[in-house]
Amino acid sequence: MKRVIYVILVLLIILGLGKACIRADVDETQKPVLRPKSEIQEENYPLEKNVTINGIDYLQSQAPVGKFGGTFVSSTIGEGPKTFNPFNSKDNISSQMSEIMYDGLVTTDPVTGDTIPKLAKSFTVNGKEYIVKLRHGIKWSDGRPITADDVVFTWQNIILDGFGNTSIRDSIVIDGKLPTVEKIDNYTVKFVTPEPFAPFLRMLSSPIAPKHVFEPAVKKGKAYFEGFLSTNTPPKDFVISGAFKLKEYVPAQRVVFERNPNYYVINKDDKKLPYLDKIVYLIVGDINNQVLKFEGGELDEISLQGANVARFKEMEKHGDFTVYNIGPDTGTMYIAMNMNNRKNEKGKYYVDPKKQVWFQDKNFRQAVDYAIDRKNMVFNIANGLAEPLFTSETLNSIFLNENLKGYDRDIEKSKKLLKKSGFRWDKAGHLIDKFGNHVEFDLYTNAGNTEREAIGVMVKQDLEDLGMKINFKPIEFNSLVNKLMATLDWDMVIMGFTGSPLEPNGGKNVWLSDGTLHIFNQRLEKDLNSPRYDFEKRLDYLYTQGALATKFEDRKKYYDEYQKIVYDEKPLIYIYSPIRIVALRNKFQNIYPTSLGGVTHNIEEIYIK
Amino acid sequence: MQILIYILKRIFQTIPLLIIVSLISFFIIRLSPVDPLAELRLNPSVSKETLQKETERLGLDKPIIVQYGKWAKSFVKGDLGVTSNGEQVSTKLKERIPNTLLLTVVVIFLSWSVGVPLGVLAAIYWKTPFDRVLTVLTSIGMAIPSFFFAVLLLIFAVKTGWFPVGGLTSSNFLEMSFSQKFLDITHHLVLPVTVLFTLSLAGLQRQMRGNLLDVLDSDYVKFARAKGLSEFKVIFKHALRNAVNPLITLLGFEFAGLLSGAALTEYVFQYPGLGRLILEAVLKSDINLVMASLMMGAVMLILGNLIADILLIITDPRIREGSQA
Repeated sequence: MKRVIYVILVLLIILGLGKACIRADVDETQKPVLRPKSEIQEENYPLEKNVTINGIDYLQSQAPVGKFGGTFVSSTIGEGPKTFNPFNSKDNISSQMSEIMYDGLVTTDPVTGDTIPKLAKSFTVNGKEYIVKLRHGIKWSDGRPITADDVVFTWQNIILDGFGNTSIRDSIVIDGKLPTVEKIDNYTVKFVTPEPFAPFLRMLSSPIAPKHVFEPAVKKGKAYFEGFLSTNTPPKDFVISGAFKLKEYVPAQRVVFERNPNYYVINKDDKKLPYLDKIVYLIVGDINNQVLKFEGGELDEISLQGANVARFKEMEKHGDFTVYNIGPDTGTMYIAMNMNNRKNEKGKYYVDPKKQVWFQDKNFRQAVDYAIDRKNMVFNIANGLAEPLFTSETLNSIFLNENLKGYDRDIEKSKKLLKKSGFRWDKAGHLIDKFGNHVEFDLYTNAGNTEREAIGVMVKQDLEDLGMKINFKPIEFNSLVNKLMATLDWDMVIMGFTGSPLEPNGGKNVWLSDGTLHIFNQRLEKDLNSPRYDFEKRLDYLYTQGALATKFEDRKKYYDEYQKIVYDEKPLIYIYSPIRIVALRNKFQNIYPTSLGGVTHNIEEIYIK
Repeated sequence: MQILIYILKRIFQTIPLLIIVSLISFFIIRLSPVDPLAELRLNPSVSKETLQKETERLGLDKPIIVQYGKWAKSFVKGDLGVTSNGEQVSTKLKERIPNTLLLTVVVIFLSWSVGVPLGVLAAIYWKTPFDRVLTVLTSIGMAIPSFFFAVLLLIFAVKTGWFPVGGLTSSNFLEMSFSQKFLDITHHLVLPVTVLFTLSLAGLQRQMRGNLLDVLDSDYVKFARAKGLSEFKVIFKHALRNAVNPLITLLGFEFAGLLSGAALTEYVFQYPGLGRLILEAVLKSDINLVMASLMMGAVMLILGNLIADILLIITDPRIREGSQA
C-alpha cells in the first residue's frame, strides 16, 4: 500500500515539472511588439557644432541643457579589457574601453554615417591630400595643449612605424607604399596617400596619443610598447583627450571611468561636458548574469536577445526602463557553397568533381536561394527579431544597394531553374543531375551555436523539398575553420560575418579573389595564380576601383554593382541580419538612439533627470 | 629528525609526479582541436601578416614537444610565461588568488567551527530528536547540487533586492571608509559562502558524527566508563582524539581545494576568483594560464596530503611508531 502512495507522489512531481515546461514554452513563442525603427529616427539628433569662445575652439552640444552628476552603469560580457592602450587593442572590449578615453580626429555622424570632425576642427580632402585643421586651445586631461605634434607623432611614430596592433597600417598599404604625414603649422597637419584611397578618411578616426606620454614608451621599442598602458598601469598615469578617464580597474569585476574636466565639448550654456560623473562597466561572465543584474537594478543598460525581449517588453509596462529597437545589426548569416575547382598537393580535387558541377552552376545556386524560407527562419529561429537579408552589405550600411529587392520562397522557380540546367527527378522524387548522379552533399556549421544549428535544420528541410539529400553535420568550431581555411574539403556551410555599415572595403578579404577569407573559393598560397571565374574578375575590379575613388557617389556606383553581382551569382546566400534591442533606464535624458551609433553614441550629452 | 627525513623523501617523490602531470596536461590541451587563433582567422578585417605574427608569438608553428620543452624550461626557472593576450600569467594569478582564498578560508573556517561541534553533539545525543533533526537537515544540505542552489540564491537576490547580484565589491568601493568596505565585502560574500558552507557543513557533520559513534562503541571507551570516569572526560579525552584522525586527512584535501574548490559557485556568482579565470582560459586554450593553474592545483594537493600526514604523525602515536619500525 505504502509503495503505491510513493509511486503516485513521484508521478505527480514529474507531471508538475512537465507542466512547468509547457507553460514556459507558451510564453516564449509570443512575439514581442516593437516600436518600428522609423519611429526612432524621427527624433532627429541635433549634431554638435563648432563654436569659438575666447580663442578656444569648442564643440557645442545642441541637445537640451541637462543636470550635472550621476553614474551610468553598463556591462561587458567576457573577461574584460586586456589593455587600455588604444594602439594595442585586438578585441572589441579593449577597443571600446580605449575609445572612451582617446578621441580621433574625425568621427562618424551617428545618423547619416558621414565622416565629421571630432578632435579636428575641420578637414579638407583633395584627391590624395588630406588637410586637417586642429582646434585651438583644447587640452589633454593633464592640461597640456593638443597640437599638430601629437597628431604627427601618433601617425608617424606609432601607426606608420608599426607599433602595437598593425591592422590600420596593414589596411592602408597601397602597392607597398604608406601614406605620409607632415606638420604644416602648430594646428595644421597634411596627410598624403600614395594613390587616391577613399577608406583613408575613416582611418583618421584612429585615436590620437599625447606625444609627451607615449614618446618615452615608443623609444623603448616595440616589445616594451606591447605592455605599455596595460591593465596594470595606475589610472593616474593616463593622459587622455576623451570625455571620460580611467578611474579604477578591478579585474573580473568592473572598469570605472570619471569625467575629464578638460573635455572640449560644451553645452548651450557654455559649461563643459560631460554631464555624468562616472561611467561604470561591470564585467560579467555570461548573458544570464547580465540579465539578472539588470533586473536587480545594478545595470542601467543591456542588449537583449531572443526570448528575453518578449519578457522585457512585458516588464517595461510597469518597469522604469524603455526597450529600444535600434534596427538591423551588422551581423550577417549566410550559406556558402564550395566553388573550388582545383586540386590539392596530392593531385586530388578538393571538391568531388560531380559536386563541382552543381556548386559551380549559377542556376543551382539560385535554386537553393529560392528554396530557402527566410521569413520562416526569422520568425522561428530569431523570434522575429531579425530582417531577411538579400544583399552582401548589411541593411544599415550607407552603401546598401536599395534596388535589390527581397522575395519570398518560390519552390516552383527553383524547380524551373534546376530543369534549365538539366536536373530531373526520379520516381521517388530524388533530384538527379544531367549525368545521372543523385544530388547529395554535406552541410556544415559550428556545433554549439544553437542559432546556426537551427538554421541548418531548416535549410536541410527546405532543400529536401527540392529532392536533394542533405547530411547536416554541425562540427566543432576549430575543425570547421580548419576545413574552410586549410583542407577545403567541404560542400556547403552556414556561417556568419560581422560587416561594417560604413566601409565596404573592410570586406575586401572576403570579396577579392586572393583574399584571406574568400570563403566560397578559398585560394591557398600555391593557388593564388589559378584562373578566376568571370564574376570574380569583375568583383576584383570593382573592389579595387571602389577603394580608389574618393567621392561617395562614385564609390556607391562600384559598390552597387558588386552587390548586384553577389545578388545574381549567389556565391554567398544571405539569410538574415539580427535586430539590436537595447533596454535603458528612463532616468537618462538626451537619448537619441540611431542604428549606426546605438544608444550611447552621445555619452557626453546624456544626463540624469 | 625522523619526521624531517620523511618530509624530504616525500618532496623528492613529488618531482616525477609533477613531470608526469605536466606532460599529460600539456599534450591533452595541445592535441585537442582548439585553435587559439580560430576566432581571428574568421575575422574579415584581420590581415595575413597579423595572423602570421600571432602564430609565431604563441609558438604554434613549432612541434608540440618543442613547445613543451620551452614551457618546462621557463617553468623550472619560475617564469610562468604570458597569457595569449600577452599579460604575465603570474600577475593574472596574483590578482585572483586573494579573492579565492578569502572565499575558501571563510567557508572552511565556518564549516569546521560549526560542523565538528555539531557532529560531536549529534553523536553524544545519538537517536534523540536533536540528532534526527540534524540528520534530516544535513541530508538536505548534501542533496542540493551546489550549482542549482547558487542559481536559486541568485534569483532570490534579484527578487528581494536584499543582496547584490554577484561580484565582490560595489562600484563605489573606492570611496568607502574602511568599515564600509568591510561591510560591503561581507554583504557580497553572504550568498556564495552560504552555498559552499551548506555543502561542506553537511559532509563534515556526518563524518564527525560517524567517527565518534564508531569510537564510542569501542572497548576502551566502555572500559573508561566502567572505570567510572565522567562522561565529559570519556568523550573529550579518550574518544574524540581517536575519532579525529579521518578528519585530519580530510583537512589535507580541504587545503588542496583552497584555490580550486569553488570554481562552479564562483562562476554562478561572477566571483572574481581563480575558477572563473581558469574556465575562460580553458575555453580559449590559453596554454600558459591553464598549465600554471593545473600545476598549482597539483602542488596544492601534494602539499595538503603532506601536511595531513605530518599532522597525523603528531596526533597519533600508533602511526609514529609504525614509521619508526
